[in-house]
Amino acid sequence: MKHNRQSVENGIDLTASNAPIVPNNSADLDTGTSTSAPAKPRKLEVADLITIGVFAALYFVMVCVATLVSTLFTGGFGSIFLPAIAALISGCVYMLLVARLGKFGGITVMGVVIGLFLFVSGHFVLSFIASIVFPVAADLIARAGKYKSKALLLVSYVVFSYGLTGPILPLWFMKDAYVASLQARGKDAAYIDGVFANINTGTFFISMAAILVCALIGGWFGQKMLRKHFVKAGIA
Amino acid sequence: MQSSFPAKSVTSDSRTSFQPPAAATAPGAPVFSDGAGGFSSDRTADTARLDRADRVSRTLDPRTKLFLLLAANLMLFFHVALATQIIMAILFLIPLAVAGRWRLTVNFAVLYAVFTALGLLDPEALGLPWLHVVSALAVGTTMMLPCFMTGAYAFTTTSASAFICSMRRMRVPEAVVIPCVVVIRFFPTIAEDYRQIRNAMALRGIASGGWGLVRHPAQSLEYILIPLLMNATTVAQDLSVAALTKGLGREGEHTSRTPIRMRAVDWLAMVAVMIPLGLDIAGVIR
Repeated sequence: MKHNRQSVENGIDLTASNAPIVPNNSADLDTGTSTSAPAKPRKLEVADLITIGVFAALYFVMVCVATLVSTLFTGGFGSIFLPAIAALISGCVYMLLVARLGKFGGITVMGVVIGLFLFVSGHFVLSFIASIVFPVAADLIARAGKYKSKALLLVSYVVFSYGLTGPILPLWFMKDAYVASLQARGKDAAYIDGVFANINTGTFFISMAAILVCALIGGWFGQKMLRKHFVKAGIA
Repeated sequence: MQSSFPAKSVTSDSRTSFQPPAAATAPGAPVFSDGAGGFSSDRTADTARLDRADRVSRTLDPRTKLFLLLAANLMLFFHVALATQIIMAILFLIPLAVAGRWRLTVNFAVLYAVFTALGLLDPEALGLPWLHVVSALAVGTTMMLPCFMTGAYAFTTTSASAFICSMRRMRVPEAVVIPCVVVIRFFPTIAEDYRQIRNAMALRGIASGGWGLVRHPAQSLEYILIPLLMNATTVAQDLSVAALTKGLGREGEHTSRTPIRMRAVDWLAMVAVMIPLGLDIAGVIR
């Protein structure tokens, strides 16, 4: 079992083997059970969780940048294109994380952590639900391709990007609120419909389509960067 | 470790000082100084502990902060009446003021007042129909503001160790706690690395000047993100070694040096927030 561990050339496993040897360590048990497969242990270890944390921090920074850019471009309606722009720029982060980890659960945990930080920084609580459901789906898709298949990884990135739709959902709640406040002031329904002629479900679909396109471009860019820089350097 | 050589060319100097003392520069920033899973050096931990000692008594328990966040979200969900919203906003601002974040408090109060006033504008009476855009946005922003208030409160007044300790108390699985620790720990490093990368780029005359980054967005993204990612992989390895030697991977309960306790004030804050919300949902406040 020891030999099996040290033969893995990946850096994460190197550090894991540097770990102080703890009796009854579940990770050791896990490698013990899966000695038949030459692959890495399936369970997430502390080293993996730390890797996820580092990448989640980078992803969160990307989301912040996306918020900034989106607010600059679209003015007050700010975050409508937030997920799309975030998807456009953070493909590299996602692809490198998947390449480094290659285990089930990594994408899910990253999504949950991102959702938690969005919630704590004052976003809508529904964003938490979106950032659990979509990453789990993305994780399953990526696993179907054994975290290697390029096409499936791209699809999984697209699905993961929809996890960020949580922060923009309140826009549609806000619309209801404004309608309610108009009704409270005695405006009739036809008038209210007129006000919302251009703020309707159309913008919703545009925003969703933008996520799809941007995630495809961003994921492709990420894979290209991965090939160009990290595969050559032996990191991914 | 053979894999980490290429990263050295750009970012090796940023790794020599492992953790910039975030506590000394920004007292409000999340400070990582945890006895249970600590990565930080003794120097930063000492300053952090000193200024936490007088701060911890004046802020609420992290779990109460989460509860306030939930309450703010519930407000959004139930479309509370304007009166309730104003009462709640004031209630949310009180702990922020008590914690000594005066500028933040005043900023939020002014913003809230302005947007409430804008939301009450009647575009018809003024004869300017386009004002509906402004008015709708103002109503939306007023609804979001309580969330941002509580979020800002949670972010600026919680030390990382208190956050971690409370997550463990709430039985959050370790698979979520550990990445959260790392995220908080890693933010200052990202900022530091970014500065180093921009310096290196400026030295070579790449994307210098105010609009340099915007002119070639794909190139800027590549030149900034790739060194950051290269560095992230090495930092992840370093952190793993550091954390595992300090016993982060141990099973069983972890202790914390930051005391976390629900006090009377915490329960009072929860009840105080729930009263207007409950009354509104029950239909007493209209």
